[in-house]
Amino acid sequence: MEIIAIILGGVLINNFVFMQYLGLCPFVGVSRQLETALGMSGAVIFVMTMASAVTSVLEIYVLAPLGLGYLRTIAYILVIASFVQLVEIFMKKAAPGLYKALGIYLPLITTNCAVLGVTMLNVRHSYGIFLSTLNGLAGALGWSLAIIIFAGIRERWRLMDIPKTLEGFPLALVSTGLMSLAFLGFQNLFKAVFR
Amino acid sequence: MTERLVVSPSPHWKTGKTVPALMLDVVMALMPAVVASVVFFGWKALAIILTSVSSAVISEAVYEKAVKREVTIKDYSAVITGILLAMNMPPGVPLWMPAIGSAFAIVIAKQLFGGLGCNFVNPALAGRAFLMAAWPLHMTRDWLAPGFFGGVDAAASATPLAVLKGASGGALPGIWDMLLGNRAGCLGETSIIAILIGGIYLIWKEVIDPRIPLGFIGTVFVLTWVFGKPGAFFQGNAVYHILSGGLFLGAFFMATDYVTSPVTAKGRLLMGIGCGAITVLIRLWGGYPEGVSYSILLMNLVTPLIDRVVVPRYYGWKGEARKEKAL
Amino acid sequence: MRRSVFYDFIKGFIEENPTFRLVIGMCPTLAVTTSVVNGFWMGVSVIFVLVFANVFVSLLRKVTPDEIRLPVFVILIATPVVIVELVMRAYLPAMYEILGIFVPLIVVNCIIIARAEAFAFKQPVLNSFADGLGIGAGYTLNLILISGIREFLGTGQITVGSFRFPAAPFFEPAAVMLTPPGGFICLGLLMAVLNVLLARRERKAKAQAV
Repeated sequence: MEIIAIILGGVLINNFVFMQYLGLCPFVGVSRQLETALGMSGAVIFVMTMASAVTSVLEIYVLAPLGLGYLRTIAYILVIASFVQLVEIFMKKAAPGLYKALGIYLPLITTNCAVLGVTMLNVRHSYGIFLSTLNGLAGALGWSLAIIIFAGIRERWRLMDIPKTLEGFPLALVSTGLMSLAFLGFQNLFKAVFR
Repeated sequence: MTERLVVSPSPHWKTGKTVPALMLDVVMALMPAVVASVVFFGWKALAIILTSVSSAVISEAVYEKAVKREVTIKDYSAVITGILLAMNMPPGVPLWMPAIGSAFAIVIAKQLFGGLGCNFVNPALAGRAFLMAAWPLHMTRDWLAPGFFGGVDAAASATPLAVLKGASGGALPGIWDMLLGNRAGCLGETSIIAILIGGIYLIWKEVIDPRIPLGFIGTVFVLTWVFGKPGAFFQGNAVYHILSGGLFLGAFFMATDYVTSPVTAKGRLLMGIGCGAITVLIRLWGGYPEGVSYSILLMNLVTPLIDRVVVPRYYGWKGEARKEKAL
Repeated sequence: MRRSVFYDFIKGFIEENPTFRLVIGMCPTLAVTTSVVNGFWMGVSVIFVLVFANVFVSLLRKVTPDEIRLPVFVILIATPVVIVELVMRAYLPAMYEILGIFVPLIVVNCIIIARAEAFAFKQPVLNSFADGLGIGAGYTLNLILISGIREFLGTGQITVGSFRFPAAPFFEPAAVMLTPPGGFICLGLLMAVLNVLLARRERKAKAQAV
């Protein structure tokens, strides 16, 4: 039950972008085209899932037994940064086109607060290794869903008469607000079942 | 040359109809439901509708004047948004609510993006969702018991959906009362017959595609029949589920909005089915008794993706030839 | 042209306003701005981290090789964040609970790494200090402005400790302003208005120049 609750929670009910304000910079920055949004989604899914797994191992076997909880922030950010490096090297070799398209946003996954955010949430919920990994995956899937939907909407804007002064962040934020209004419909979904 | 694959966003029409003529058809089609709401909920209903429509039209005019664009209030689209938002409000709400809701719908959901045709969610539904999040108690409690011509009981009354969900006690109204509209609910959603008259008119005039309402209502029927009763399959009260809440209103008048629904036949069927599935998800297991408006909003969001996935297959597709080959 | 320290301080309020001009650090700007008090404390934390990081990045800029500058930045940013976390947990435990994960998340707030990369790594210590203070203060003002609007519309009054203004709400508060949709739309509209005003000012300046 908890497994389903985590997946639904991450993807729909507590969607990172729409409900938790996490990962907004790349959400707005890389959503102009569906292709780049998909590429970024892939990178985020990989990094968030792996980061969740590794940080929870680190938490349970190193930080907690040694009482080093106060080093968590530093330890986590270093782990995440090295993972991003890994993805970057991999992409540069395997998918140079995509690597070019993602531009500066790839190294910026490090500062995608959704990644560090999910690992911090894992600690707050005191999830074990499996549930942490799952939570990372679910959160990343939710983030990807959000950016893919938004990229679809934004691609249409190119064909439309969008007011120039509002393009970019102002309209992106208003649209995110409208999308998040729609996602409010999922609030308390299955609450009766999971309790 | 990828540009060729991009289907221009709606609204676009094959017929020579102009936008105002088309919109006027929708206004006409909404009239039976408007009359029914006044019959059952009295002058209060009329006041809400008038407030909502005038707020919508004024907001549109003021905004377009302010940004020095052509004022488009004569295309009736703001009127429709106003009527639809009013149709989606409980009859007991204070009048400032439809006023704010309509202004939000027109300015934020539609005009900021460039006006008619550029909005990606149905403005009236965005307005409703905003009001729902802003003043949830008004939107979920200000029900009135229906009575002919203003004989409205001021006491709060349970909607059939709340009864179905077990959220409040009370008995379900009879089938005839459900069809006529003699039950608690939002202004324009109660009278199924009135909505059907308008809906059939729109289908006959080829203003809307029947695939969306049929897919929508059909999906809700099947899914509530299968899952409607907790702990047992195939025993749900499907007839009541499709007749209650805003399903008919949403299926015929809001899910079919040109601007925010897919352009292809297959895409429209998908839209209907998706709306139905999300509606049932929210109705049976969600936090709200009604899921119609959220389901349409959510499907609005994925409409561009549906168009992208469904459309390219039509590129170079010569009529029915390929279908036959595939068979 | 030599940069004046005063300019580096003052530019954070308008010219390089982190929220409205540079458009960075969006997540906390939305997440913590449900009340003025939350916004204020978040702003103070960011000022501290920003000044600390800027000063140390600037101090170490001559001895830090380019290739490893990012890991160095991260350490120099994470350190003051941990200090803020510990201090806040000790002295403002209630606030620490409310701000939640957004305190440790200051580490990945793009404002800070952006200032380290774009400014402190190239500028003298004093200018970097002024830059951190100015950008941080500008950020704090933004947070207070946005949270003021949201708290006022969402609860009908602004509450700071036992001080309430107005004493009783004179309209029915719109709860949506405290929720994510309200936050997004509020900030989006605020930016839209500022963009329009700035565009108008630029047009006027151009017209005068001609």
